[in-house]
Order: sequence, then structure tokens, then C-alpha cells
Amino acid sequence: MKKRKVKADNCIEKAEEVKPLPDVAVKLNCVSFSYSEEQPYAVKDVTLEVKRGEFIAVLGHNGSGKSTLARLICGLLTADKGSVEVWGYNPAVRSQLGAVREHAGVVFQNPDNQMVASIVEDDVAFGPENLGVPREEIGRRIDWALSAVGMEKYRHSTPTRLSGGQKQRIAVAGVLAIKPDVLILDESTAMLDPKGRREVTEVAARLNREEGMTVILITHFMDEALLADRAVVMNRGEIALQGAPKEIFGRGEELESYNLCLPEIGVICNKLRAAGIPVEEALEPAELARQIEAQAQTRGFKTPSSGYMSAPIEQNGAKEWDIDVQNLTYTYSAKSPFASKALNGVNLHISQGEFFGIIGHTGSGKSTLVQHLNALIKLPKAQKRYKKPRVKKGRTPPPESVIKIGGYNLADKKCDWQALRADVGMVFQYPEYQLFAERVFDDVAFGLKNFRKGLSKEEVEQAVRESITAVGLNYEEVYDKSPFDLSGGQKRRVAIAGVIVTKPRILVLDEPAAGLDPIGKREIMKLLHRLHGDWCKTVIIVSHDMDEIAENCTRACVVSNGEIFACGSPAELFSRAEELYALGLDVPVTAKICGELAKRGLPLNCDYTSQGFAAAVISALGGESNA
Amino acid sequence: MLNDVTFGQYYPANSFIHRLDPRIKLLFLIAYIVMLFVANSFYGLALCGLILFITIIAARVPFGSVMRSVKGIIFILVFTSLLNVFFQKGTNLLWQWGIIKIYTEGIIFSVFLTFRLFFLVMGSALLTLTTTPVNLTDGMESLLFPLKLIKVPVHVLALVMSIALRFIPTLMDETNRIIAAQKARGASFDTGNIFKRVKAIVPVLIPLILSAFRRADELGDAMDVRCYASSKKRTKYKKLRFAPRDIVAVVFAAVMIAGVILLNIYGYRICPQIYPYVVI
Repeated sequence: MKKRKVKADNCIEKAEEVKPLPDVAVKLNCVSFSYSEEQPYAVKDVTLEVKRGEFIAVLGHNGSGKSTLARLICGLLTADKGSVEVWGYNPAVRSQLGAVREHAGVVFQNPDNQMVASIVEDDVAFGPENLGVPREEIGRRIDWALSAVGMEKYRHSTPTRLSGGQKQRIAVAGVLAIKPDVLILDESTAMLDPKGRREVTEVAARLNREEGMTVILITHFMDEALLADRAVVMNRGEIALQGAPKEIFGRGEELESYNLCLPEIGVICNKLRAAGIPVEEALEPAELARQIEAQAQTRGFKTPSSGYMSAPIEQNGAKEWDIDVQNLTYTYSAKSPFASKALNGVNLHISQGEFFGIIGHTGSGKSTLVQHLNALIKLPKAQKRYKKPRVKKGRTPPPESVIKIGGYNLADKKCDWQALRADVGMVFQYPEYQLFAERVFDDVAFGLKNFRKGLSKEEVEQAVRESITAVGLNYEEVYDKSPFDLSGGQKRRVAIAGVIVTKPRILVLDEPAAGLDPIGKREIMKLLHRLHGDWCKTVIIVSHDMDEIAENCTRACVVSNGEIFACGSPAELFSRAEELYALGLDVPVTAKICGELAKRGLPLNCDYTSQGFAAAVISALGGESNA
Repeated sequence: MLNDVTFGQYYPANSFIHRLDPRIKLLFLIAYIVMLFVANSFYGLALCGLILFITIIAARVPFGSVMRSVKGIIFILVFTSLLNVFFQKGTNLLWQWGIIKIYTEGIIFSVFLTFRLFFLVMGSALLTLTTTPVNLTDGMESLLFPLKLIKVPVHVLALVMSIALRFIPTLMDETNRIIAAQKARGASFDTGNIFKRVKAIVPVLIPLILSAFRRADELGDAMDVRCYASSKKRTKYKKLRFAPRDIVAVVFAAVMIAGVILLNIYGYRICPQIYPYVVI
């Protein structure tokens, strides 16, 4: 009872007494923290001052202590040593904790796990309701918060139907409704696709610019730091580097040693410099294009004579493991008021040996498409209760959906589904969340035991050992461990091992690199290239990340509204940048720079990998091509 | 509005019934159930049927979707009515075979009972067809208001319900994804005996439970950061408000209740000859 009264008094105090605004929004003084006594410090001797109205980015690989920092600031954790001060309040003192949370709002990683209500406005109202804000004022705050994140239109929607970026913006609005002075984004972009990431970081930048809000953006994507006034790099719990983002970007090698990756554009700058073309560290495509233009004026610019010739894709006849999809149409909850057509007459041919990309935004039908490939969704004709659709006289019946993979006819009721699934491996999004067994060994062996009954113990062990080794883990080290004791990246590898253990000919992966830090992403893509051609003949990845598609795939298709919008080599696809923008999709940064160059009358043809782009620029500028 | 649908059997439409205050709908359903049990003759029952018919028309819900809700209880319906046919004693013996005796009263009563249950289930289905789960919880919370006086933490219960509703679709998606993933690894959930099937669920259940705990953990932090404290006095943004149409519904309900009571009392005057066969 007593406590409640104190809280209430605080509230009134805040409203009536006009305190002078502090100059320093967040102050950390020699802060150290460790999760348990045996573990090393997660945060060690961190001293940091964030000024009012400043926008800082905290960078660091997974496990560098950057998230712990956020928890220390908002009082979810208490520092072992040192002191934390937020807007003049100390989160370690119980009576001041409430004030700390009113001043500093935190948005976490997973937008799904931050929402309490099924309707957007109710969720945004949650914070002010907790503070006992009067009804009318809550209404005004919802208006303001939703318009600040650009989601006014979705006020009465249910968050479950929104895209990741939209959901995360709702989560930001939920925090904004508390009217905090400091906004902390704790890896809020880690689970989002590039478009969603941009949406969220732009909201943060705008709040900083227009509302003078202090922003602390914690991330492992270096390109997000571009918007910040100051970047702080963390490594093993300590601050390793700090300064303006541009300065930090110039120290590529040092950053690599902290397990951070330069964004593609930084990689390109480095390559150009290595070839003797003096470009400064550029942060935006337009900026780099301007620099290339300046170079072109002094050096001259050789306009490529003809269009870019992508390496011809081998088309020497049908091969054993070709995938052939014809007229694939699929409707969810058919014959109900919620019926929605997920796929509409999809035709697709993927040849054996391709590294194929499927691009499309949330709800485009791409997941439905890949789930057909190993009959997790069966074709109508293959279903138990298949009835021939009645066709009115004089009308042509709709064409039948056909999928053929290798020797399997997926429209056949008698198709051997288990054998098909063993040959077409499928790795879902966040596969580490599907681990269940007590030991890594059992988890990896699960699929094998299901598909190939009657294998001897030795054969199983042999296969599991090979597959764990193939994903780049040390068998002896991990096989007896609990999968839940492994790190995030290792878990994902174990999950992939559990799929490839049957040596599938075709491997389908839905967003294989989602949620990993850049180093983790790079490692996973390397792993897939190793598997491709060795273990699996064909690799198909579903991805939102255009840079990933451009760098890795031989061919890709764009799915939009349940139809194949375009299909071809990345070079062909990304030369149609305008059309992709119109679909709400992105293009790789190389394509953006090409676009900027074309506007300046400097057309360039390349395959849109950073390597190929740099080479094209170097040859056009007549630089020595030693890249 | 399609957007408001989370799960369950809500049928999206924008009818008079859809727009009624959920509290009115809940109270109306309770009143309707009372009417069904108070009615002592087929006259009253027919009136109840008429009420249902009018409401279905007004709700613009296809008749089939209301009937579908009855499908689930058809077995119970058949079973109870058969029991009644055989065990209801009466005066007018129709048929006898050993100890099994069937009376006219038994048949009449079992027909009556079947209709009563039929209407009851359809009426309840109509509520869930026309009200979103979110509205329904709001309505229940509001109706449970008197419990606050005896220190039941109604708003905490309401928050728990709201969070549960919020996470049902999320966890359903998750379950489907895990099932699909394990199927892709060769798990089969619909073959083998009962033990095998139970065992097959383990690879789905464990990841699901782990994920639920992880989510709960993160949600707890997010709520903390958004200044939640159960002991604090909260305000409520959304308040249910009665509209003129709610009054129309109340008047309609009142008239119908009066109708059932009048039919109970004066029903025999309608046609005295057949009354014995109509009354229960």
C-alpha cells in the first residue's frame, strides 16, 4: 500500500515540477557485469556518456555484450560494479526504477514477443495505461506514436498479419506512447529483412532529428550505424573503438578482428582503392557514384560496348534431378470466408546443379511454393479425398497442377512421400527452434532413423559423423552435448546437419541466414556453397536479402502475389530495379550504385556481385585490374 | 472486418448483430438459454426457434455455418433423445418389447429436448460467429465487474486472457511450422498405434514448450520496460459504449421473454384439443 503511494507521488512530481533537462541522457561509469560468478564479464569497465539528443550506434558481434548494456541501462539487470544513470535517475535504486523506465524505452529483438494485445491500438495503449494516463490523453498518444512510426493506417488491425518490419514499428510505437526521452533499440532489427530494417532505423533517425529524442541503436549490421552521430564498437564486453561512423568504417581490418563485417559498399571501396582508384569511404550509393563520376572526369570512362553477358547457364538437356513445376495453384482455406489464393498458375523449372534463389516479400506465396517441393503441401490430385472438379459445359477446365522432381511425380497418389522427403531436404526458417533431442547425435539421427529404417548402429553413426563434419562442426566435441548448450550459430548448423544427414539431392532452405550476425551469415553461405555440388546437387534458398542473392545464386525468381514475376540470372533480375521497387522489393547495393551512375550518364554492366561490380568500375576507369 | 479475426469461427460481416455491444450479446444469450429452459410447451419452443431464425437473418451469417456447429454434438443429441424415448415414463403406452416400453410422452419429450439442445447450441454458435474473441473478452471483463468489489483482480485476469488470445495465433503458426519441419525430417503423425503416435508428438512438443517459455520470458521483460506493475492503478483506454441499436436489442429480448412467459401461462387457450400433446 505504502509503495503505491510513493509511486503516485512521483508521478505528480514529474508533472508539476519543471526540472531542468539534463545534458547527459545516459551515463555509464566503469560498469561491469557478469551473468554468473564462473562466467567472464559480459560487460567490463564500460564508461560511456550519451548526450541529450544524440544518436549513437552500439556495434558488436553476437556475444560482445552490447545487449547486456541495454539491459543494464533500463534496469532489467543491475551492474556488479560501477554506476548507471539515466536522465538523472539510478536504475539500481528501487524507488527510481519507475522513473528510469518512463524516461528510457526499450524495443527488443523479436516483435512477436513484445505485444500484449491482439489489436494494434490496444497494444500501443498498454504503456500509458500502466502509468495511469487519462483516457483522452492515451488516445492522443496513440495518434502521435502511430504517426511517428508511419502506421496510422493499421490502428485497428491485428499485429499477427503484419510484416516483420511493420510489427517492429508497432513495438516502437508501444514504447513511444510512454513518451520516453531515450529510445533504445536492442537488436530490434536482427530478425527483420533488409526492408524492415530500413523502416525501423529510419523511424529512429527521424525521431532523433525531429523530436530531439536520444537514440541508442544496438545492432550487428554496420550499415545501420551510418545514420548515427557516433558509433561505439564493442568487443568481449569492452568498448574497442568509438567515433564518427565514417572514421570507424575506414578501419576495415581492425573491424574484422572484432568479428564485424563491412557492408558491401565498404568492401567495394576497399577493392577500388586496392586497384589504385582513390575513393573515400562512402556510406551511400549516391555518394560512391559521385566519387566515381569525379574520377571519370579525370580518367575518362569507357562505356561498355554491349550489354552484360551473364555466363550462359548450362542447358544441356534434362538431367536426373530437374525440378519441373507447372500451373501450380493453391488456395488456403478454400471454400471458407477466409479463402486466399497463395499461388496462381506458377510455372518454374530448376535444373540440376543450380544454386537457385527465390525472392519475395512476406505473404507473396514463396513459402507455399517451397512447401510443395517436398509434399508438405500435397497437390490436389495426390490428396486422399480428391474429387475431380466439376466443369460447366463449354468451359475449359483449369489446367492441372503438376510437379515433377527427378523420378517423382508429386501429382500421383502413390508417390513414395518418405523417399521424396529424404531426397528433397527442407530447412525451415530458424531451424534451431526445431531441435528437441537430449543429445546432438540423436537430433541429427532423427531424420535418418525415420527415412532409412533398419540401418545398423555403425551406419547411423557414420552418417551422423559425416553430416556433422560437413556443416563444419567437430563431431567429437559436440555429438554428446545437449543442442541447447550450443551457441546460436552452432545450433543452426546442427539443425542443417539433421536435414542433410540423408544426403538429399536437392536442399531447400527458407531464409538460412535470418537473424545471424554478418559473420554468421557469411559462414552459413560458405557452408551452403560447400554442400552444393558435394552433398547436394541443387540448392534452393528463399531470401529477402538481395545482396545474398546477387552474391550467391546462379539464377533466381521473384514471386509476387502468388505468381512468378520474373526469373533469370541475378544480373537480368536486378537490371530491372525499377520494377522490383514497384513490387516493394529491394535491389543489391551494387545495383543501386549502377542506377546512380546511369543517372549521371555512366552506364555500367556487371553481374551485381561486389567483386564483379568493382571489376567493371576498374575496367571502365582504366585502372589496373588486380582485384 | 477481416483484420480483426484472430482464430475461432468468427464470420466476418458488418451486420446489426455483429455491431451489437458484446455485453448485450452475452446477456441476450443468457436470457435466451433461460427462455429455452422456461418454455414448457412447443409454443414457447417455436417462439425460441423464431427468435433464432430472426437473429440469423439479421446477422447475415450463412445458415450452413450455424448448422455446422451442431455437427459436433449430433452424437450426444441422438444419444440423449434415444435415452429419453426409452426411459421416459408416461400413461399412453405405444409399444412394448420385454422391459422396453415406449410411451407417447417419451417421444414428445425427446423431440422437445432435441430441439431445445439444438437451439441452445445454435444460439451460442451465433455469438461466436458474430463476435471477435477480443470483443468477447472485453465484454466478459466488463460483465465480471462486480467481482472487483470482492477483491478479485479482474483486470489481471483480463490481461491474462488478452495475452492468451494474442499468442494463440502465434503459437499455432509455430506449431504448424514445427510439425512441417519434423515431417520434412520423416516424422509421421498419423500412422502406428496410440503409443507410437504419442511418441511422435515429442519432437513437436519439446520445441513448442521451449519456445513458449522463451516467449514468456521476453514478453515479461517487454512488459516490465513498458512500466507494467500489477499492483499499480491502471487506466483503461478502450471502454465499451452502448449504442441506440443495443436498446433495440434489449427491447426485443424483453418482448420475447414476455412472449415465452405468456405462452407458458395462456398457451392452452390457443387450441385446447391438442394442448396435451404440446405441453411438457
